[in-house]
Amino acid sequence: MQRKTIGNILLLALTLCVACMWAFPIYWAVVTSIKPEHEVVTKTTFIPDVFNFSAYYFALFETNLAAWYVNSLITSIGVTIIVILISVMCAYALSQIVFPGRRLLYGIILASFMVPSQALVVSQFVLMYRFGLINSWGGIILPQLIIPVVVIVYKQFFDSVPKELREAAKLDGCGDFQILFRLYLPLNWGITTALAIITYIMAWNAFLWPFLVTNSEDMMTVTVGITQVDDAFGVKYARDMAVAILAAMPVALAYLLFQKRVTQALMLSSGIKG
Amino acid sequence: MSGIKLTGVSKSFGAVKVIHDVDIEIQQGEFAVFVGPSGCGKSTLLRMIAGLEETTGGQIRIDTEDVTRREASKRGVAMVFQSYALYPHLSVFDNMAFSLSIARRPKAEIDAKVRAAADILRLGDYLSHKPSQLSGGQRQRVAIGRAIVREPRVFLFDEPLSNLDAELRVKMRMEIARLHRQIGATMIYVTHDQVEAMTLADKIVVLKAGVVQQVGEPLELYRNPDNMFVAGFIGSPGMNFLKARVMSAAAGRLVVELEDAPGVPFDVPGTAGVPLGKGIFLGVRPEHIALGEREGSVPLKATAEFIEELGGTGYLHALTATGAEMTVECRGEERPHPKQAIRLSLDPKEMFAFSERGERLR
Ligand SMILES: Nc1ncnc2c1ncn2[C@@H]1O[C@H](COP(=O)(O)OP(=O)(O)O)[C@@H](O)[C@H]1O
Ligand SMILES: [Mg+2]
Repeated sequence: MQRKTIGNILLLALTLCVACMWAFPIYWAVVTSIKPEHEVVTKTTFIPDVFNFSAYYFALFETNLAAWYVNSLITSIGVTIIVILISVMCAYALSQIVFPGRRLLYGIILASFMVPSQALVVSQFVLMYRFGLINSWGGIILPQLIIPVVVIVYKQFFDSVPKELREAAKLDGCGDFQILFRLYLPLNWGITTALAIITYIMAWNAFLWPFLVTNSEDMMTVTVGITQVDDAFGVKYARDMAVAILAAMPVALAYLLFQKRVTQALMLSSGIKG
Repeated sequence: MSGIKLTGVSKSFGAVKVIHDVDIEIQQGEFAVFVGPSGCGKSTLLRMIAGLEETTGGQIRIDTEDVTRREASKRGVAMVFQSYALYPHLSVFDNMAFSLSIARRPKAEIDAKVRAAADILRLGDYLSHKPSQLSGGQRQRVAIGRAIVREPRVFLFDEPLSNLDAELRVKMRMEIARLHRQIGATMIYVTHDQVEAMTLADKIVVLKAGVVQQVGEPLELYRNPDNMFVAGFIGSPGMNFLKARVMSAAAGRLVVELEDAPGVPFDVPGTAGVPLGKGIFLGVRPEHIALGEREGSVPLKATAEFIEELGGTGYLHALTATGAEMTVECRGEERPHPKQAIRLSLDPKEMFAFSERGERLR
């Protein structure tokens, strides 16, 4: 009894330690962002002497942050919706429809999973340039649509749907699109939510590609935009931190909001398959 | 007329032929049962009628229309699967309404049809439940309800009761029989359980390795099997087979002698023209063997092995001198002990003669 309590306390202490190590940089960023710029460079304070929100004022009203936000939001949501839509159809075809070259196609998708997207950047840039999509939402979105892992995950889930369900739906008069959108997709809602959130976060956080494909400031995404703050005004730590926090906010919020839904949905979807 | 006619129907998976030239005719309103051991192709044949499996050869007609190459949903058939195959994300109501909503029927019509089917199946209180909240028997009823709502020309059942426990199985069997009387639609029912086949069917189709062995009414198959396979498969427990020799043959009768009882010739019905001295098999059902000696019966010595006791009756398993296994129905009080030497009386009028290859001699 006694020993168990001590063990628990030790474990708790260790957990707290690790949590602090993770949380401290975030805390430091927040604290720095509300310090006056001179305090940042002159002394090390864990709690600022005065609370000063001028860095946020600057970030919100004197940068292009609003435009970057809109760009990020539209491209991320665009990527998410299109990725889910094409992946789900691709996975359904690979999983349920017999056609020549099906295995080969799946093999190619599996293989492309192993090609880092950075390796394709140059050819994609040339392609987007030829399409005239530099500095456009389309240019930001298109190359980000290749996410083989989403297809692979969906295919695996579709493979495990009992084949009688599909046959029952066929007898009930469904075509393949109806089977997919009225049966397979709702049956895998949990995994769809999870994949959508992950895709969204990946798209929001994407840096390299949006950085390459945009050079006009009002077409940049948030991740690219914040680097411009640095360039234009020299190193101003409070401002940098304020912009960084605002940039990360939507992703952090999305995750905090949906965290429960993701786990819950995943558990549900594995539970209903009986 | 929603009769079904299969002519020369066959099916191959790659190079493996699993259904061989099947000819069957099922009348409008008939309850047909496909029965046979596991792997004989019952499900495949049913799925070919449903349109879920392509037909390699022959022709399938429903209502005299050729549907061999027609899409499953356009054949006017509904199927009840062994695994129920209910849509897990939809309520009972939506499961039953699914086909109608795919066909974009008006809401009022869908509602009326689903409620009517729910009434027949006593599912009214469960319409808003999800399948996972239902018991096995209720799920089965929803699966049947989903079929009824479509008002199909033909109902197809693939071992619909195998996932239920024994008690429920008997209850659902009665319900399906009642449903058939109530709706009067043509039904095809697949099972490996000959008891289910005997109790439900108007017409039984016995299959073995993708070949139709015999088609007929339950009692016809019991009383007049075409071959040893059907004789052994229909009836529970199965028929006993004993080796015998033909001593002489007259018009429609064979004089034979059991290997286990040499020197006791007797008459059985059979074809003339069987080569004399040739080995044949004699089949006799457990219910046509008596313990002890009887006038006009063929006596047989055997050793009792063990008894399957059911209370009113018991099934005695015994071995003859040549090692043939026998099952004997014991009614009343009398039960031999294990290892006890016993005398059996076989009724020659209830015997069936089969050639060495298993064909019926008659
Ligand atoms: N999709 C398939 N591919 C290859 N062989 C199959 C397929 N489906 C069934 N078979 C074979 O066909 C035979 C009949 O199967 P089935 O109709 O399921 O038998 P039953 O329902 O009578 O148990 C079996 O030997 C089985 O292995
Ligand atoms: Mg089967």
